[in-house]
Amino acid sequence: MAERKTERLMNLIFALLVSRQYLTKDQIRESIADYRESTPQAFDRKFERDKEELRELGITVEMGQNDKYFNDEPGYRIRRDEAELPDLELTREEAAVIGLATQVWEHAGLASESTTALVKLKAIGVDVDTSVLRMAEPRLSTDEPSFDAMWDAVTRRVPIAFAYARPGREPMLRHLQPWGIISWHDRWYVGGFDLDRGESRIFRLSRVIGEVTTEGAPGSYEIPEGTVMKDVARELFPPEPEEAAVLRIRRDRGQSLRRLAEKVTPLGDDLDEVEIRYSSRWELASEVASYGPDVVVVSPPDVRAAVVQRLTAAVTGSLEVGA
Amino acid sequence: MSRSRQQVVRMLALVPYLQGNDGVPVNEVAAEFGVSPKTIRDDLKLLMYTGTGEYAGELIDFDLTALERDGVVHIRDAEFMTRPLRISTREGAALIVALRTLRASASGLELTVIDSALAKLESAVGDTASTSVDVVLDDVDPTIHGAVVEALTGGKRLALTYATVSRDEQTDRDVDPRRLFTEQGKLYLEAWCLKAEDLRFFRLDRIVAADVLAIDAEPHDATPRDLSEGFFTVGEQTPFAVVDLHPRAHWLTEYYQVDLVSQGEDGVWRAKLYGADWSWLRRLVLRNAGSVTVIEPAALRERVVDDARLALEAYDEAVVHKES
Repeated sequence: MAERKTERLMNLIFALLVSRQYLTKDQIRESIADYRESTPQAFDRKFERDKEELRELGITVEMGQNDKYFNDEPGYRIRRDEAELPDLELTREEAAVIGLATQVWEHAGLASESTTALVKLKAIGVDVDTSVLRMAEPRLSTDEPSFDAMWDAVTRRVPIAFAYARPGREPMLRHLQPWGIISWHDRWYVGGFDLDRGESRIFRLSRVIGEVTTEGAPGSYEIPEGTVMKDVARELFPPEPEEAAVLRIRRDRGQSLRRLAEKVTPLGDDLDEVEIRYSSRWELASEVASYGPDVVVVSPPDVRAAVVQRLTAAVTGSLEVGA
Repeated sequence: MSRSRQQVVRMLALVPYLQGNDGVPVNEVAAEFGVSPKTIRDDLKLLMYTGTGEYAGELIDFDLTALERDGVVHIRDAEFMTRPLRISTREGAALIVALRTLRASASGLELTVIDSALAKLESAVGDTASTSVDVVLDDVDPTIHGAVVEALTGGKRLALTYATVSRDEQTDRDVDPRRLFTEQGKLYLEAWCLKAEDLRFFRLDRIVAADVLAIDAEPHDATPRDLSEGFFTVGEQTPFAVVDLHPRAHWLTEYYQVDLVSQGEDGVWRAKLYGADWSWLRRLVLRNAGSVTVIEPAALRERVVDDARLALEAYDEAVVHKES
């Protein structure tokens, strides 16, 4: 059955691609065995489904009339110049990086999508020799169960609904027009227009619970012009460090803080005075506290106080200190 | 994507590919398309029922003798489709995000090549694909990144100063680089460490200094560690602490290896928290003091208290010092 459908789709694509004229529905039915052997109603159903299938494959079927003066029945065709892959004129190195890119995905579906794209390039004569480059081998993987549904929704622009919960909170049903997905620190996020809040929002895929349901037709909304996922997701990234702090760090200790050093002054007694910039008092106090006696905050006072608060809580074992 | 849709996409690419590569072995086609030789043979069989009509010469044909005897493919009567269809939005998005990932871990001249490849690809695929997906990696000092790439591509030895986080110390060592890769959104160098006489991983943002030496890197016999499960896997020997987590610290359960033991009505969760070693666990508790507290083992609990006490003394001293 599946084979018969595949065969029918291939023949439909070939027929529409080869014809210079618009093919009427009758002509299409006549030229493809499976259509011809169906009842008129079954043919109508199959033809509609197949047209939808071609849309899903990214193939645009054009509708039109061969001669508008004769009030012809409308027909169908695939415009060859629009359907065929144009020459990309890739250099040897560019072809090699595209070849390397197909090895990045550790996700069966997307590895296969990018491989198909590469094969299409090879079919127009692009010579792909990845050995001309020796680069980093980054990997992209996903273990979020909702990833496939989100990817699908994003690339087809389909509105979606899903249950979403932060740890320890009750799940809430959210409605989203997804604009894109982004990976940060090996975690995937989906961003878009949140229909419940009426503004752009970002959601972590690992917090999506259960199935993602579609709530509309593909392409039923527009992504605002100039949308960049990095901006939609900017709340994820740390702000620029602007505040100044002075720390006293034992020699050869406090490595993560020393990396931020703008100035290091040896003080004797195996101590260095280290000047750094930071963006979050909370983050800095946490990092300093993690080193115990090896790092002490000299200034500013509010970071000092935050560290003392943490250390006091560590001594008493209490769970009450405010963040 | 459904299996039959995948097959249609593959067959549409096969037709022009086979014409451009007349006489290609089935096994090579399978490798190029990332499927089994049997899948390709099934595709070919089905392709023989397709074409521009139903008569001889209108249907795609193959040299079956060559296919059966030599396992090579000669396609015939397919001249009506010599070019593949455009790269679809889905294919383009998968490839573009992969290129952006490469870009995030590339350096120097490589960036120029990746950017021009991306630009050409984006112009061929269209906007939807290029805006909808992205990958962001942490920034790495370009000098260090550049030195590592230079040593790797030039086959040179590297002198590294490296900050070890759990033991909180800096060490100098010479290494022979093997590969650069990402794990959990961070860049790592895998290299043979001449000091340890073994393969080691170095996180690029923890390399304090890297000098390319005028010595060629040597080949070393070593099996790379299997990272398919990630760097950190919990085994029977993995140290763990039983901790209480204030609601403020519940996020830890999303970031670290944690087994939840119980959830109290006051919002405090009790959990087993696994770490690479005890000093890592101690630092994690101190970092989150007030939101995380150790229940057991007693040794860790006492060590945390001792460290915090010692640290607090430094603050008292500083205060006294100022007043006097």
